Amino acid sequence: MKILLQSIRLPIALALAVLALHLVLPMTSFAQDQKAATTLDNLQAAFNGESNAHAKYLLFAAKADEEGFGKVASLFRAAARAEQIHAANHASVIKQLGATPTADVKTADVKSTKENLQAALAGESYERDTMYPEFLALARKENNKDALRTFNFAKSAEAEHAKLYQEAHNNLESWKGDKMDFYVCAICGNTVKSVGFEKCPVCFTSADKYEKVS
Amino acid sequence: MFPPIPAWEGLHPLIIHFPIALLITAPVLVIAGILFSNQRQGLFIAAFALMLVGSIASFVAVSTGEAAGELAERNDAVNVVIEEHEELAELTRTLFALLTIVFGAILFGPKLLKKELAPGVLSIVMVAFLLFYSGGVLVLANTAHQGGRLVHEFGVRAMMQTAAASIPSGSVSHSNDQQAADDDND
Repeated sequence: MKILLQSIRLPIALALAVLALHLVLPMTSFAQDQKAATTLDNLQAAFNGESNAHAKYLLFAAKADEEGFGKVASLFRAAARAEQIHAANHASVIKQLGATPTADVKTADVKSTKENLQAALAGESYERDTMYPEFLALARKENNKDALRTFNFAKSAEAEHAKLYQEAHNNLESWKGDKMDFYVCAICGNTVKSVGFEKCPVCFTSADKYEKVS
Repeated sequence: MFPPIPAWEGLHPLIIHFPIALLITAPVLVIAGILFSNQRQGLFIAAFALMLVGSIASFVAVSTGEAAGELAERNDAVNVVIEEHEELAELTRTLFALLTIVFGAILFGPKLLKKELAPGVLSIVMVAFLLFYSGGVLVLANTAHQGGRLVHEFGVRAMMQTAAASIPSGSVSHSNDQQAADDDND
């Protein structure tokens, strides 16, 4: 009996190992599925954020016009256009992943132009420093190039928006009066006051793809 | 076994050393051709071949570099260097394309016109060409330096996964699905 037990010990161990592999492998696959779902979640969150920002900045632009801050209104319209481009880019990747882009666009809380600039600056700074860096880290980890590209484009543009909002906030009185021209890259949403380059510094598209927004 | 070939965005670090090495080696052969007149023709043709392949590689390097740049980790400091690297790379590509055409014209033009240049004249023309070429090498070196800064000073890396491993396929950069955003915003 003892000899019999000894002789079957190895086959039993092998059978247990195979059983364990069968249990572990599907769990690994499940974990990979969860990762992919997380990037998709990030894309959906970004799409929702950009869609809300687009709607919010248009309301802020109307308020700035009402208060006589024409240049600030132009900046909000340019930023709104950029956010619309980001939303479209995110939507494109979401669709490639087989999902439908969904956004819950809420009516923004419109205050004075100075407060609106502060709120916009806080939003852009959060996206630049926290939200997009986290989304980028995960997309990079997962080698999802399309998500990485669209997040990268958005993060670069949000950084420019933050600078412009800061500038407007710091010199608000000089941003009164007529509207002014801003230029928005139709591919990546990069926003500048003048196009002094041949190619977009973010996405390297020809500068003639920039749209004038006033 | 041959290692997997990366996707277009990941090719930049692989391809970039070809134009640097080939375009810097080419003038050495031109100098050798000037010095060793009995080997002149072969050395000049070899130099032309290196310039031609190096120039073609510079076109691929710029294109893959732009694709890699879209995915690079960015901040203000990185943006400045990337912009400078990109502008210099485009200048390098244009300069060496022109230099290669000029060298080809010097080398093959007289033959096509059935008018051989005297050896002394050819040497003078080649020395003049090398002076212009050294300007191109200077731009090339600066391009490479900025690229080196991106990698070794700022830690910017290209994504090296193969085309097959890319998730998902396709690109967002030239497919603005504006209607989708408009619809969802409405």
